[in-house]
Amino acid sequence: MIREFIVAFVGLAGGLAVGSGFVAFLTVLGVIPRLTQLTKTMKWIATYEWGVVLGAVVSSWMSLRDPLFSFPPILASAIGLFSGVFVGMLAAALTEVLNVFPILAKRLGIDEQIVVLLMAMVLGKVAGSLFHWIYFVNQ
Amino acid sequence: MKETIFLKMRHRIQVQPNATIRVGDVAQVVANKRIDDIVKTPIYTVQKKDRNIVIIDVMHVMKALMAVAPHDDIQSLGPSQTIVEVVYEKKRWGYLYVPIVWLLLFIGSGLAIMNFHEDVSMQQVQQRLYRVITGKEVDKPLWFQIPYSLGLGIGMILFFNHFFKKRINEEPSPLEVEMFQYQQSLDQYVIMHENKEAMRRMDDDS
Repeated sequence: MIREFIVAFVGLAGGLAVGSGFVAFLTVLGVIPRLTQLTKTMKWIATYEWGVVLGAVVSSWMSLRDPLFSFPPILASAIGLFSGVFVGMLAAALTEVLNVFPILAKRLGIDEQIVVLLMAMVLGKVAGSLFHWIYFVNQ
Repeated sequence: MKETIFLKMRHRIQVQPNATIRVGDVAQVVANKRIDDIVKTPIYTVQKKDRNIVIIDVMHVMKALMAVAPHDDIQSLGPSQTIVEVVYEKKRWGYLYVPIVWLLLFIGSGLAIMNFHEDVSMQQVQQRLYRVITGKEVDKPLWFQIPYSLGLGIGMILFFNHFFKKRINEEPSPLEVEMFQYQQSLDQYVIMHENKEAMRRMDDDS
């Protein structure tokens, strides 16, 4: 009995550390404020917080229990698209935090054409990802 | 009778090499009389040794104006210096680098995302996720992965609020804010370091 209690406590502590780390990471990158700013839904921010928390809890439950559903593959596509958008926003936020573009554009003296550099990165990400899934994984 | 001259320094101006900078170039002036004289007063001539940046301090302008209008009251508002950027012949080689940098970013970010996928075992996760959703075991869940890849691009564009030249809404994108902040930091630096009036060193005998 005492052993189970200790295991449960260690599990709780680990989950607490990982969960707060995840939230801290999201906060630093500022993805959620950015989304509310784009959609002008600042007052729904509490709902979005719950979305993140429930998403994390449901996903960890699923990855631990391995349930099986039989939905059509189109649902997988929808979920894939959403997860892609999320990862893309994380990647964009990361490059912004690192201040890559302002310095690069300044050095080259092309402040106006900065969108061109941005598109290089966006297309590079899409092409790299497609290449990875369609070709690279077979090698 | 004592007149008041109001003076507001501009933040940043661009001039040709060897140009003569006049009061009207670096400041907005409001006065009751002789405004043309005041605006045309020369303060500085750009020299070769100035390189790209010259800082004109408001005290410099004051000194010049005192000579022109010794009995008037000069009031300065706003910033206390102007950054003068000397624009030499526009460097065209900058655009030669663009394709190289473009390719660098394109290939680099592609490679980075592949490394990220390998690093977090994305393939296994997606295979499992696909099995959870559809109940079918698939080696390459492309139904999931192709929308995921496109979503990656959409997410980045959403974040930066730019779809090629078109913007999604009116607000400045984080990138533009970032550029602005970077430019401000640079301006602040040159104001402090290029302004001879603001610095006095121990070894500065002149």
